[in-house]
Amino acid sequence: MRLAFAPDLPSARAVAGEIRSFLAEHGVLNQELFNYEFCLAEAAYNAVEYAGSPNRQLKPVAEALITPDQIELRVTDHTAGFVLLERIPQPSCLNERGRGLFLIQSLMDEVRYLRGAKENILIMRKRRRANQPPAAEHPSGSADGLSLEESRRQLTESKSARANLAGELSFRSETLSAIFRCCAELGRSDALAEGFGERLLDDLFHLTTADWCVLRLLSTDHRGLAVAAASGSEHTPEPITLPLPGEKPCGIEATVAASQTAARFDLREDCARTEPLRAIGPEATGLVCPLVFGGALVGTIAVGRRSGDFPLGKLQDEVVRVFAEFLAIQTVNLRHHKEEVRHRMVARELEIAQEIQHLLLPRTLPQMEGFGLAGGWQSAREVGGDFYDALAVDTQSLFLMVADVMGKGVPAALFAATMRGLLRGLAARSDDPAKILHGLNRLLYAELSAVSMFITAQVVHVDLRTRKVTAASAGHCSPLYVPSGRHGILPLTTHGLPIGVLPDTVYRSTSACLGEPATLLLYTDGLTDTRNPAGKLFGQRRLMGWLSANAIAGHTAAELRDRLATELNRFRDGAEMVDDQAFLLLTEARANPKSAADSGKPQFQFERGSFLFPANA
Amino acid sequence: MKIENQGLCLSISEIPELTSVNSGHFRDELRAVLPGSPSVIEIDLSETRFVDSSGLGALFALYRATAERSGVILRLLNPRPEVQQLLELTQMQQLFEIVQR
Repeated sequence: MRLAFAPDLPSARAVAGEIRSFLAEHGVLNQELFNYEFCLAEAAYNAVEYAGSPNRQLKPVAEALITPDQIELRVTDHTAGFVLLERIPQPSCLNERGRGLFLIQSLMDEVRYLRGAKENILIMRKRRRANQPPAAEHPSGSADGLSLEESRRQLTESKSARANLAGELSFRSETLSAIFRCCAELGRSDALAEGFGERLLDDLFHLTTADWCVLRLLSTDHRGLAVAAASGSEHTPEPITLPLPGEKPCGIEATVAASQTAARFDLREDCARTEPLRAIGPEATGLVCPLVFGGALVGTIAVGRRSGDFPLGKLQDEVVRVFAEFLAIQTVNLRHHKEEVRHRMVARELEIAQEIQHLLLPRTLPQMEGFGLAGGWQSAREVGGDFYDALAVDTQSLFLMVADVMGKGVPAALFAATMRGLLRGLAARSDDPAKILHGLNRLLYAELSAVSMFITAQVVHVDLRTRKVTAASAGHCSPLYVPSGRHGILPLTTHGLPIGVLPDTVYRSTSACLGEPATLLLYTDGLTDTRNPAGKLFGQRRLMGWLSANAIAGHTAAELRDRLATELNRFRDGAEMVDDQAFLLLTEARANPKSAADSGKPQFQFERGSFLFPANA
Repeated sequence: MKIENQGLCLSISEIPELTSVNSGHFRDELRAVLPGSPSVIEIDLSETRFVDSSGLGALFALYRATAERSGVILRLLNPRPEVQQLLELTQMQQLFEIVQR
C-alpha cells in the first residue's frame, strides 16, 4: 500500500490509521497493530515537522509492504534529513521530547534511513511470528457457529482480495502517471543528461520501492554501455564493454544486453567475483532489463535492493519492464530529434557559406580599352573556397587573381573574404605578384596554420601597354597564354608553396609577353580535374587544346567564357562535380566596356551546377 | 475529553487518543484547571486507543507543571497494554502511579 499525504499533522495521523486498517485487513494481529500505527505516525510527523520551506508543499509518502515473513513500513520525506544512530540511547524520562525515534527502534527489528538529494526514506521492518494463526482456523462448537466463522473468513478473504486489487490498480495508475510525467519532461528538456534521468529514477524508486538503480545507454560506437544515470553517490558504476561476436559476455548487464532478455539476479547466489553489480553491495538483488527498440539494443536498466532478504516482487518487475520499453522509445526519439537539429544546423551553415561566397565574386570586372575580361565560377556539391578577382591599377594595367582555399564551409569562405581584402591592400603598394604573395603569406600564415588550412593562388600583373605579363604562384596551376610570335598555347610556369604552409616563403615572379590577339586564362584545378561519367579527366592538355582552337577565332571574352563553360559541362556530361571551378579570361577581342560597366545594378543568375558570371563580362 | 473537578481530585477521562493532533488541546485544558490546586490528578486512559510521543510529551508536561507542588499524586488509570508498554519503554512509569481498577 502506498499513500501520499498532505504535509500536515492531522494528515500524518490519518495516514497512520489507514496503514493500520490495511494491515488489519491482511490479518496482522491486533496486538501488533498499535506498534505499526505508532511507528508510522512518528515517522510521518517527522516528515511533516522538519520539512524546510522550499519543500513544504511536497507530499510525503507512507508505504506498507506485507510478505509472509516480514512487514515493512516506509516513509519518504523531503526534509534535510538526519543521521540515524545505530542505537539511539534511552532518552531521559525528564525530557519532554525526543522519544519518537527511540521508540521506533525499540518496537521494530530493523530501522534504516536512506538519505537522498531530494528526499529521504525511513525504512522500518519487523519480522512476523511464524505461528501466527489465521482467524478462520479456530474450531467452533456448533454448525451455525461454523457457518458464521466460515462467513467471516470469506468476508476477510474477499476484503483482502479487494484491497489487493485496489492496491494493484493504484500502483498501475501511478506507473502510468509517472510515464506521462516523463513524456512531458522529455517534451520540455532536450537531453537525458539534463537531470531527466535522475527524475525518472526518483519515480521508479517510488513505484518499486527499490533502493538502487543503474541506467546505461549504448555508446555511439556500439561497443559499450555507458552510465546515463545511477542512484546514490556511494558508488559510480564503470562503463561496460560489450562482447564481440563469439565472445562470452562478462557480467549480468552485458549478458542481458547481448541476449536482449531481462534477467533477475541474487548476488548471494551468483559466485562471479568480477560481477560489476557487486559495486552495489554484496547481497544486492534485482532485475536487469534491456532497452530495445525495433530489435536494436539501446541500453539496459538495472533496479533492485541492496539487501537480499527483501527482493522486488512480480508487480515491481512489471513496472521496471514497462519503464524499460518506454525509455527505449524515448531515447531513440530523442536521438532522432538531435540528429535532425544537427542536420538543420549543417544546412544553415552551408547557406551562410554560400552567401559569403556569392558576395566574394566581383560584381563587375574592370574593362580596358581594346581588351576584354570575363570570369566564371561554378560551385560543386558543397561550398568550397574557389574565387577570382580582378583589380585595375590604372587604365592600361591590372591585377588578376584566382585562388583556392583548401577547406569547406564557412571557415573557407571567411578566409577567401579575408584574402580578397588583403590582396586589394597589397596590390596598391607593389606591381610585383611575388611580393604580393609574400605579403599574403606573412599576414595569413598564423591563422591558416592554426586550423591546418592553406590556400593556393595565382597572381598575375598585366601591363597592356607593353603586353607584359608577370605571374607568381603559391602552389597553384600555371596560367595559359598565347605567347608573342607564336600561335600555340603555353603555360606560364611559376612555382611556390601554398600560402599558410611555411611562415616565410619566398615567391618568384616569371614574365612573358602576350601575343596578338592577346589570350590569357587563369583557372583553378577544378577545371582540369573535371571528370566525365567514364571517370576520364578533362586535364591541362585538353584545356590547352581547346584554348588554342578557340583563342584565334576573335571571340569576345564573354563569348569565349560561355564556350569554355559549355565545353566543361559538355565534357562532364552530367557526372557529379567534385570540386569548384573558377577562371578568368583576358582576350583582345573588343568587348563593349561602357555599356556593361554602366549597366546599373549587376544581375546574378545562379543555380547549383551552373556557372555564375559577373554582369559586365 | 471530560474533566471533572471533585474537590481535591481532578479527574480526566474520555480521551480516545493522545497525539500530536490533540495534545496541545489537552495541555491547554489542564493548564486552565491546575490553578485549583488539586492534590490528586487521575487520568483515565481506559478508552485511549492511541498515544504517540507527542501524547507522552503532554503527560510529561503535566508532571513538570505539578512537580513544584509537593504531595500532588499523578495517577494513570487503566492504560491499555500497548500504552503501558510505551510508558515502560520510556521509563515514564516512574513519574506516574499506574493503577488498574
